[in-house]
Amino acid sequence: MSEPVVVDRVTKRFAGHTAVDALSLSVSSGIIYGLLGPNGAGKTTTLRMIMDIYEPDSGTIRLFDQVGGGRTHSARIGYLPEERGLYPKMRVLDVLIFLAEAKGVSRRDARAKALEWLEKLGLSDWRMRKVSDLSKGMQQKAQFISTVLHDPELVILDEPFSGLDPVNSQVLRDTVLEYRRRGKTVLFSTHIMEHAEKLCDRLCIIARGKKLIDGTLAEVKRTHGGKHVIVAFDGSQGDARRIFADPRLVARIQDFGQEAELELANGADAQEILRALVNSGARLSRFELASPSLHKIFVDLVGPEAATAAVIPEAAERMRAGA
Amino acid sequence: MHKVWAVVRREFVERVRTKWFWFSAIIGPVLSIGVIVFQIMQTVGGGVRHIAIVDSSTSGLGAPVAEALSATRFVATPVAAHPGVVDSLTRLVSDKQLDGFLIIDNDLTETGRAEYRASSLGLQTIEDLQRTLNRVVVKARLEGKGVNPAVVDWAQIRIQLDQKKIARGQTTAESAGQSFAVAWVMAILLFMAILIYGVNVMTSVLEEKTTRIVEVLVSSLRPFQLMMGKLMGAGSVSFFQFLIWAASFQLVIRLRIQIAKALGADPSIARNLQLPHIPTPTLLVFLAFFLGGFLLYSAMFAAVGAMSSNEQEARQAQLPVTYLLMISYISIIGLTNNPSSAFARTLSLVPFTSPIATPVRWTAGSMAIGELITSLAILAVAIVAVTWVASRIYRVGILMTGKRPNLKELMRWVRTA
Repeated sequence: MSEPVVVDRVTKRFAGHTAVDALSLSVSSGIIYGLLGPNGAGKTTTLRMIMDIYEPDSGTIRLFDQVGGGRTHSARIGYLPEERGLYPKMRVLDVLIFLAEAKGVSRRDARAKALEWLEKLGLSDWRMRKVSDLSKGMQQKAQFISTVLHDPELVILDEPFSGLDPVNSQVLRDTVLEYRRRGKTVLFSTHIMEHAEKLCDRLCIIARGKKLIDGTLAEVKRTHGGKHVIVAFDGSQGDARRIFADPRLVARIQDFGQEAELELANGADAQEILRALVNSGARLSRFELASPSLHKIFVDLVGPEAATAAVIPEAAERMRAGA
Repeated sequence: MHKVWAVVRREFVERVRTKWFWFSAIIGPVLSIGVIVFQIMQTVGGGVRHIAIVDSSTSGLGAPVAEALSATRFVATPVAAHPGVVDSLTRLVSDKQLDGFLIIDNDLTETGRAEYRASSLGLQTIEDLQRTLNRVVVKARLEGKGVNPAVVDWAQIRIQLDQKKIARGQTTAESAGQSFAVAWVMAILLFMAILIYGVNVMTSVLEEKTTRIVEVLVSSLRPFQLMMGKLMGAGSVSFFQFLIWAASFQLVIRLRIQIAKALGADPSIARNLQLPHIPTPTLLVFLAFFLGGFLLYSAMFAAVGAMSSNEQEARQAQLPVTYLLMISYISIIGLTNNPSSAFARTLSLVPFTSPIATPVRWTAGSMAIGELITSLAILAVAIVAVTWVASRIYRVGILMTGKRPNLKELMRWVRTA
């Protein structure tokens, strides 16, 4: 199987900190690949290096099994940057044509495709209006059109859901899924695990520029899962707190009050906990053996402090690059 | 190349679509029409004047004065001096039946004094009157001493100095005033165009940076290509502007006779309007140095735009570049007054001032071909060097946000980009 994106031991340093540290990942063709990590983990820097916006300090990036990054292959890639923006004073249609031309699409094709997409997303009437006349939601749509207008084989989306209203979120999700159905490849970054869990075929979690884990969703859950139990109470909780605190039974707990997600200790039996809870007089509405949520794995891996971003003050102010 | 072309085209089309472009495109022709109309109006204002001459001299000087004045553009009628004549003439003047009246007596030949009263005192009219009176009085004085009238007339033939300029071995029919005016206008045009279009490049860079659209662009074009596309786009807009100005100026000159007729002036006056002649080599030098100066300064302005993150910052950061350009602007007077001075020579060799100084010196005719080539060569080298530095600052800068870099950081950008 061909691999549209191969990142091989790539490192990028900015003044005083390492944004990406010997990161390797490969995205095979026809899948949705999620690059996950807290803010400041190096997701945006990685995507920017893939897009040739930054040059790596070391390591190599290969796209479509060829040497060279996004600029060489710009006609085959659609890129939605984290910080969106279009020329506010240009007409919508002109912006779309220009951005496609900049990727190497001929003017005539660009025009035809732009009109087609504007029609499809209901912006036809706005094509001769200035971008600044559009509502925020319409601007998001226009930006999205500019990403996919040239029918790219590979779509790279940096935090695509951030700032989207629910309607556009749905448009985006549908389009991403349609892309996969048509055998195209999608690489996107997010720090919201729910999005990743619903969409990704494969994923990679990074923090502080380093890869923590990658693989299919099932693989990640299997390796990092352990056995999980979700308990929900209905009124009395009995002696639950004492039972959960027993290290022979429970290795880790996420307590939500009326509900808790337990990770069983090595060799512990879920039935034993159930028995102990019932005997202690707890009333249960739910007792479920489950695989852990991606969110749980993520928090376990990166730790709560990393989940709230690793910020190196000076560097973060100077370049909001390291998302 | 297709990608760069797209950038050039966008830059051009979007600029030409702005109101400002058409505003300044129209200002040029309006000004040139203004200049021509002004010149024609001056001659209209100096048209036929009806005046009376009150002569109370014993020698009867009124008749020859009236005769001499009527030979120019005056219709002069002598009237006898009697009490109350001044009052009745004053009434005629305020009734606009008379433009004015001249009062002469024996003082005219004795002490050279006379009086003119009129509703409007035009400089040209006064000068014409004085000159004519002068001739008549000088003649009367000399004849009074027994000099042959024919000799007096011969002695009074005025001297006319024909002006010819020798520029690079060729004699042209240009006057001092004309070549000064051409050099002056050229310098101002160069300064304005370089400044306005340089700042245009800067704001355009800044716009792409603040809207973050630059990220998408840089993922498809190399930053250097993007910058060059911008410079070429903005440069062609300014060329287009010049073209509009040149064409409309030509048109106004061609229509000057019709304009004169429409204004009720003598068409022959319009035909003889003094129009500066700009030879082709001068035009080429102008264009070459405009192009060079534009590239040099726009590259710097692009770097300034790239290192700033909002318009206020950019306005501050552009000051050093603007000051650099101001040096040549401030020196225009010195340059035109003495184009061969050591000061002028230096300015025409330093690349940051030569785009304005060299065309001025060339127009003034004080520059040899060798000097011109040296100046152009130094400018070319400077463009390459400055563009190289600017493109590195640009490359790092356009992706930066946050505070503006200090000089040390800029140096690091240039080294590591």
